[in-house]
Amino acid sequence: MSDTKLSRRDFLRIGALTAAGAALVGCTAPTPQVIKETVVVEKTVERTVEVEKEVEKVVEVTPPPPEPVEMRIAWWGGDARATKTIAVIQMFQDMYPYITILYEFAGWDDYWTRLGTQAAGGNLPDVMQHDYERITKWVADGLLVPLDAYVDSGVLDFSNVAEATLKGGKIGGKLYGVPLGINSLDMDIAVDLLEEAGLELPAPDWTWADFEQLCYAIHDSLGIWGYAGNSLFHDHMWKQIHISKGLWVFSEDGKSLGYDDDQISIDHLYMILRLYKAGAVQTLEEAVARQGESVEQSPMVVRETVMGFSWSNFIVTTWSAAGKDRRFKLVPIPRSGDKPAIYVKPSMFFSITKDARYPKEGAMFIDFFTNSIPANAILMADRGVPIASHVKEGMKGFLSPAQAEMFAYMAQVEADCSPTPPPDPARWADVRNNVFYPEFHDPVLYGLITPEEGAATFRKKANEILASG
Amino acid sequence: MVQTNSVPSASRRRIKTGRIQRQNNLIGYLFLSPWLVGFFLFTLLPILASLVLAFTDYDLFTPPQWIGLNNFKRMFFEDGRYWRSVRATFYYVFTAVPLRLVVALAVAMLLNQGRRLVSVYRAAYYAPSILGGSVAVAVMWRQVWGGRNLGLINFILQSLGLPYVNWLANPRTAIWTLITLAAWQFGSPMLIFLAGLKQIPVELYEAAAIDGAGGWGRFTRITLPMLSPVIFFNLVMQMISGFLVFTQAYLVTGGRPLDTTLFYALYLYLRAFEVHEMGYGSAMAWVLLGVIAIFTALLFRSSSAWVYYESGGGIGG
Repeated sequence: MSDTKLSRRDFLRIGALTAAGAALVGCTAPTPQVIKETVVVEKTVERTVEVEKEVEKVVEVTPPPPEPVEMRIAWWGGDARATKTIAVIQMFQDMYPYITILYEFAGWDDYWTRLGTQAAGGNLPDVMQHDYERITKWVADGLLVPLDAYVDSGVLDFSNVAEATLKGGKIGGKLYGVPLGINSLDMDIAVDLLEEAGLELPAPDWTWADFEQLCYAIHDSLGIWGYAGNSLFHDHMWKQIHISKGLWVFSEDGKSLGYDDDQISIDHLYMILRLYKAGAVQTLEEAVARQGESVEQSPMVVRETVMGFSWSNFIVTTWSAAGKDRRFKLVPIPRSGDKPAIYVKPSMFFSITKDARYPKEGAMFIDFFTNSIPANAILMADRGVPIASHVKEGMKGFLSPAQAEMFAYMAQVEADCSPTPPPDPARWADVRNNVFYPEFHDPVLYGLITPEEGAATFRKKANEILASG
Repeated sequence: MVQTNSVPSASRRRIKTGRIQRQNNLIGYLFLSPWLVGFFLFTLLPILASLVLAFTDYDLFTPPQWIGLNNFKRMFFEDGRYWRSVRATFYYVFTAVPLRLVVALAVAMLLNQGRRLVSVYRAAYYAPSILGGSVAVAVMWRQVWGGRNLGLINFILQSLGLPYVNWLANPRTAIWTLITLAAWQFGSPMLIFLAGLKQIPVELYEAAAIDGAGGWGRFTRITLPMLSPVIFFNLVMQMISGFLVFTQAYLVTGGRPLDTTLFYALYLYLRAFEVHEMGYGSAMAWVLLGVIAIFTALLFRSSSAWVYYESGGGIGG
């Protein structure tokens, strides 16, 4: 048994080495622009200060000399995220030479398959990236440990973090996930195309009726789609239209749907079908036909649409694919009621698992990720807008136009938003994959059944599954 | 050398050889052990485990809970997607498998005419089936059948001034993109057909030609009956792999649109690995095994009526 354990560690170590090699390559690649040169100098100064601060903290918590620590960290994401994260891990290791971090990363699907298997095998990493929709189930299954003790002892320093932001990582009053960034849904608007059409940017409190009219106006004047990309009845959109009415889609115990009036969904679906008929937005069929296309081929980038909804942190990728000469603006999702449709969502968390051998060192790493300006200068809001106010302030000077737009939008959202809804019930993934899309969303938008029929089927089947959860 | 033992030498030799044989066997098993360990640990054990899991509710995180026949009840009576996946799979098996065999036989017959460069063609036609399950081919297939401005076929249609079709997104056409992919991967049945065609005695054709049989007559009266054991073999193998189709749908269409390409194995995977219903997934797998067994048995039953074996048995003789 111990043999296999050893070989797995060796395997990880080799993986870490190879990935570190990749990181080196990534670092030598000409990613930083000229402006950042000056920043680097500032960063080193700040970093020494930071290091001293951290060292003090270590001295008071653990008596030297510390035992060598080898802990594991896992996250999902692409190559860009990996390069940045590995660089931050390196910085952390330089500060604490007795800590070695072995890391694993994978794309979204593979990540959850892998971590699920590790959970079953009792060998989860010390620190894992977690997701707002899944964390409840993991906590319920006893796979994560609460972090409140580390907050009390000062290992996790949240003095510059708003209480409301941390709330997203709390389950049953205890902190299980530290938000790595915040984001929100938004409507991306290609301002350059909108101006070409001679149309005005919508107000932050615009409604779906305004949206519908704007789509017709864009289609009439430019002949392109007013809206394309994610479905207008995406499961997130379904949530937003209820939030704007002051409702939440699930009941408090998560055992049933939380709204009685299907008319909200039905009205929204009829609006979408009207827009389909007018050719003013991309239909579901058109979108499915292009499923799997890269961001470079997306309607927003190739000027086939003026609007598209997305998570606010995606604007960085979209804008860089579209080119510097394009101009984009993020505005809130239209309202269906009198409340904002948007809320502040923790984009993802770091959590400490039940299998962690070094939970305290894990918490130290999470603290570093949250509070270090130099670390965040490398991460560049890749996981959403940082949660600590001094970090946000410290990064202001060197943001790209896309990042500046994202920061500005999030500031606007924080000022006027609906409260963050509780995490989804554990059975939601099942409801979404096996009922919401195949029994409701797809057949209605393909014109197979009416919105009323779809809503009725959905209510019945969703409640059955939720009740069993 | 002094004989100190009273045992006759012949029987001693037998003991000796017995020991050597046992030793040889041991060495043999030792060499086999990587495979044997792999088989028992990673094939047999999981198979037995999945049989048990089929009667449980198991989400990987919490211990499995015995729920008796509930998974099967849910599958047959409550899960609409399950029946859509069954429908899509049968549709696929009953179209893609015959189509692939027809194409394979046609190409094999062309290659059997002894033209020059046959070996080159043989390799070229076999290539798609080697690439078949690969991600690259699926991605390419997406490109071929892609939407407006993206797909090769739509590009051709549009250059001819014809309207484009969202092949992958239209519920009527999507499954046919996968069926054509299957037909295109005719390589391995083709090779088997080719071997079978070479076994048919040339005299039969010569005699038939002298008696005035035309091309079609020779095909239906000589080629098909003589080839029927090979057709039978190919049919069984291809039908089984048809029921198990996964990769193509997973990569090309993801089961969409409207579950028209949600093949059984794909739905099983989504249930087991996307929403972590391992018990339900295991139950689905055992039902699939049963269905494949039934269809294979039916094929074997039917074979006495249409498969011709030269060495007695079958029809004629």
